[in-house]
Amino acid sequence: MTLAVPLPLDAPGPAPTAAPAGRIPGSKAMWVGIFCEITEFALLFAVFFVARAHHPEAFRAGPAQLSLLAGTGYTLMLLTSGWCVARALHAMRRGERAACLRWMAAGFVFGLGYPAIKVFELQRNFALGLDGSGGVFIVSYYYLTFTHLVHVFWGLLGMLWVIARTGFGAYTRDEHSGLEAFACYWHVTDMIWLMIFPLFYLLG
Amino acid sequence: MSPGRKISDRKIDLAWLLLVLLSLGGAGIGRADANAVLVATGVALVMALKLHLVCTVFLELHAAHPRIRGAVRLFCHGMTALVILTTAFGDTLSRLTGALIG
Repeated sequence: MTLAVPLPLDAPGPAPTAAPAGRIPGSKAMWVGIFCEITEFALLFAVFFVARAHHPEAFRAGPAQLSLLAGTGYTLMLLTSGWCVARALHAMRRGERAACLRWMAAGFVFGLGYPAIKVFELQRNFALGLDGSGGVFIVSYYYLTFTHLVHVFWGLLGMLWVIARTGFGAYTRDEHSGLEAFACYWHVTDMIWLMIFPLFYLLG
Repeated sequence: MSPGRKISDRKIDLAWLLLVLLSLGGAGIGRADANAVLVATGVALVMALKLHLVCTVFLELHAAHPRIRGAVRLFCHGMTALVILTTAFGDTLSRLTGALIG
């Protein structure tokens, strides 16, 4: 017979235990979704490389038209949001629900920085005449970055859901697969941005 | 990378700091006025390092199922290689795809 003693909020627990090797982090369903996302972007990247090979001049001149400050800003926001989500997961593994909630809330705020910068960047771009008729580089840029923006929106909605579930005590130190599944999605979305950023803002 | 290795909060913080520094430094490399293949190689290596940090420290890929680990790593390494190869052999790619497109 075992005694199940509920842990008080933020009760200090042992250090996070190592995840067993060879397991599926989060859930199978989330990884199906993640592989769909990866496949989608792999195809878009292939189109990007072919377009760049056919129009080298347009792609060489492209990055100078975009705001490097905005591109770096997106990167910093997503990386910081990912860092907060990673810390939230570790806090939950120790059973520190309140700390997990705080890290998730911080992750959400930094995640919101991405669409906020997008608004400013789009205003700047349109003021400079960089719209859908701006040539092959700009069209590729909008196509890839808007597709990524859609994935960030799904992530932000997912984050709200995970924050709510954490707040209501749905996750525990032993069972938090939903939180982990979300973290995987968010880190992969972050990873894809780390590929998009140099392609458009640095290399062309 | 040994599977099942623990990742501490300190390691997560250090990885984030390194990612921020690489992002700021990498931006400088990308806009440098140098040989295109050299710049592409520098940018691709910084990108690869950042992807490695995210995969290892944030995503904890070393503890994941080998197929998940393999597929994600293939995607990351493939992109790094493609950035360099398509810059170095852009003409060849243009000829090959031009023949396919017609």
